[in-house]
Amino acid sequence: MAVALAATGSFLPHLAGRSSALFLVVQLAWLPYATAVFMASAQPENSFVLVGGPVGDLLVLFAVQVLVPQSSDAVLLGYLVVVALGVYTVDRRLAAALAAGAIALTFVAQPLLPVSHRLGAAELIPFSGAVLALLFMLERTAAIQAQTVQRWKTKSDTILAHVADAVLVTDDAGRILEGNAAVDIVIGQPVASVIGHDCAEVLGLHRGERLLECSNGCALLELVAGADARLGCELWRKLPDDRRQPLLANASVVVGTGGRREVIHSLRDVTRIKEAEEAKTLFLATASHELKTPLTVIQGFADTLTRYPDLDGSTKAAALEAIRARSVELARIVERLLMSSRIEAGPMNLVVEEVDVAPILAERATSVGAATSRDVSYRGPSAGVRVAVNTDALITVVDHLLDNALKYSPEGQPVTLSVAEAPETVCIEVADGGIGMDAEQAAHCFDKFWQAESTDVRRFSGTGIGLYIVQSLVEGMGGSVAVSSLPGHGSTFSVHLRRHLSVATTLAVRLGEQTSIREFMRQLGVPARTKS
Amino acid sequence: MRIAVSLVNLGLGTIYCSYGIMTIVDLKRGWRANGFSHFGLAWIGMAFTCGPHHLEHGLHVAYSALNAGPLDLVAVLVGAPAGVTWFLLRIEALRGGRGDRFISGTPWWLRAVAWLSGAYVAFLIGATVVTLQRAGHFTPRITPNLLLLALYCLIGYYLLRTQLANRPALGGWSVSGLALTMVFPTCGAMHALFAIYAVSGSYQVEWHGLLIDWLAVPAAIYFVWVVRNLSLGLSSDWNEGAEGARLQPAAA
Repeated sequence: MAVALAATGSFLPHLAGRSSALFLVVQLAWLPYATAVFMASAQPENSFVLVGGPVGDLLVLFAVQVLVPQSSDAVLLGYLVVVALGVYTVDRRLAAALAAGAIALTFVAQPLLPVSHRLGAAELIPFSGAVLALLFMLERTAAIQAQTVQRWKTKSDTILAHVADAVLVTDDAGRILEGNAAVDIVIGQPVASVIGHDCAEVLGLHRGERLLECSNGCALLELVAGADARLGCELWRKLPDDRRQPLLANASVVVGTGGRREVIHSLRDVTRIKEAEEAKTLFLATASHELKTPLTVIQGFADTLTRYPDLDGSTKAAALEAIRARSVELARIVERLLMSSRIEAGPMNLVVEEVDVAPILAERATSVGAATSRDVSYRGPSAGVRVAVNTDALITVVDHLLDNALKYSPEGQPVTLSVAEAPETVCIEVADGGIGMDAEQAAHCFDKFWQAESTDVRRFSGTGIGLYIVQSLVEGMGGSVAVSSLPGHGSTFSVHLRRHLSVATTLAVRLGEQTSIREFMRQLGVPARTKS
Repeated sequence: MRIAVSLVNLGLGTIYCSYGIMTIVDLKRGWRANGFSHFGLAWIGMAFTCGPHHLEHGLHVAYSALNAGPLDLVAVLVGAPAGVTWFLLRIEALRGGRGDRFISGTPWWLRAVAWLSGAYVAFLIGATVVTLQRAGHFTPRITPNLLLLALYCLIGYYLLRTQLANRPALGGWSVSGLALTMVFPTCGAMHALFAIYAVSGSYQVEWHGLLIDWLAVPAAIYFVWVVRNLSLGLSSDWNEGAEGARLQPAAA
């Protein structure tokens, strides 16, 4: 179309007067509508741009009429085209007939007009072409609109199918009409089995200790009507095993098919959020306690040193050593908390390089053993174990695991740090003969804020984030961590790390496509698709 | 000046025609596995109109009595490094090599290139005003050049948009992408300057050049149409089955 425009436009300077005006009209009337259709194709949801086409046409015609007074008959034809556009929105066939009529009338009227007013082939052909092209564009407009509707439907269906909240639609009487796939997960019943049933019976929602009464209309709708409950309200339902399932529920009224009033219920299972809240509360209490213990000792010794300045040298030295040791402990707790919040802030992007880990492991075992006066041994080669790691992260991981092993092992019980090599991976193990864990404890031990003992009486100190940090760092290096444990027989933590940098990870963004076609597509942002 | 403009244009024309040949080879190799590629055909169409345009222009400048414009030389020299870089990367990929390089972060020199590009555009606009003030007579024959300016800038915009969208995910820039992004607007600038020299009377639009440029317009429109359809998911091409991690960032 741009070619046709430009081609015809090229001759404009050679035309003058009335013929020029007619050309101007037929050319310029194309442009706004064609632009609108093109823009609407790119943004079908924006129907405003489609209205802009005919409006632009009218403005162009008006401008031509004002600027080129001799264009009156040409502009009249132009207005006829715009009228055809308007009629088209009401009835396609009528518009097609009108356009055909306009073309026919233009041709038939020629012999009736004075010779000076007759149009030549140079005017009649582009005019007829323009009218037909506008009709074609209208057809395209209708197709775009139909496509938009289909796209919106597909989009809403996809959202409904993949949303994590259970969505149920009921009629005014509370009978379930439809639901999404999440109903199966949240409610625990297949959608097909709840359709046609009473919503109140299926859900059995409670607020506080009171069952929601829906006999006089949807009770949830009334609950969320208040401004303070726009995002929903917290309810619960009883599970078959008598546990309470906390839910964030919301409801709204829509007009369904046939103008019937329907109610949309959305239900979000907030069990995990509640658990996380409880864990956070417990963590705050634990962390405060952990921070307070060394602080109390530091404060006590500092008070003693201030109050009794005449203490003998050895007592002063012992007090200062106690303050130093507790400060180190305090710093370690704060460091863990900071690292935990860094992990929370986003995925760990660790710079990994191939390093010989054997000397590092041997050194950590020796250092931790000396610092704690405990039996920590290293079993493995003294050199030549190359692994793709971040050295700082590896040291943190090993220290945390050794610290953990020492904490849960009785005094005198040895802790072993060992390394085993496989062709592609290396396994670093920390084994202790401590209290061990049962299967459920082992399954949760990497959870944040989780501790084997969360009762009021805790035998072991700690914030419950050490193993969470270990797992995050190991995964940040592309590895994995696992635990095997038996109550009373100790635990073994195994860290599996890759020996070599993964070619796929390293080079994926640094390789161009093999063919120019795909490389150009990649650089243009053409989305990749699965082969059908 | 005339010899320089002529030689650079002949070199660039040869490179663009080589792109076309390379893409024909790609299309032929992948046809059985991936089917016909409208994208490939459109790209071939562009390469075989852009290439001959430069060859024709180089030959006319070499053999005509007209003085070659200095801006023409500047435009070709500015676009040449990007074009040659992409060409060399493609040669490398064709021979089984990497075909791309990665620039980590945004180094100072890359920032400088962005600023220099802005300065270059300002310089071109200023030079255009100066040139047209001396003499200027509009001729409809420059229409295809103006259309190509708009179309090439549009393709350049698509490429730039993708590079900017990819940057956060990659943590840097793809040299292949940056080179392509630079090639198209500089090509557009070359056409614009050709049009300006034609209007000012320094260059004449011969029918050979006019024919090639008029062929380049539908080729570029066809290319934009194919890219648009692929981006909107209205059609599929060799992007099917290309999901092997490499195209992911661009979809953002």
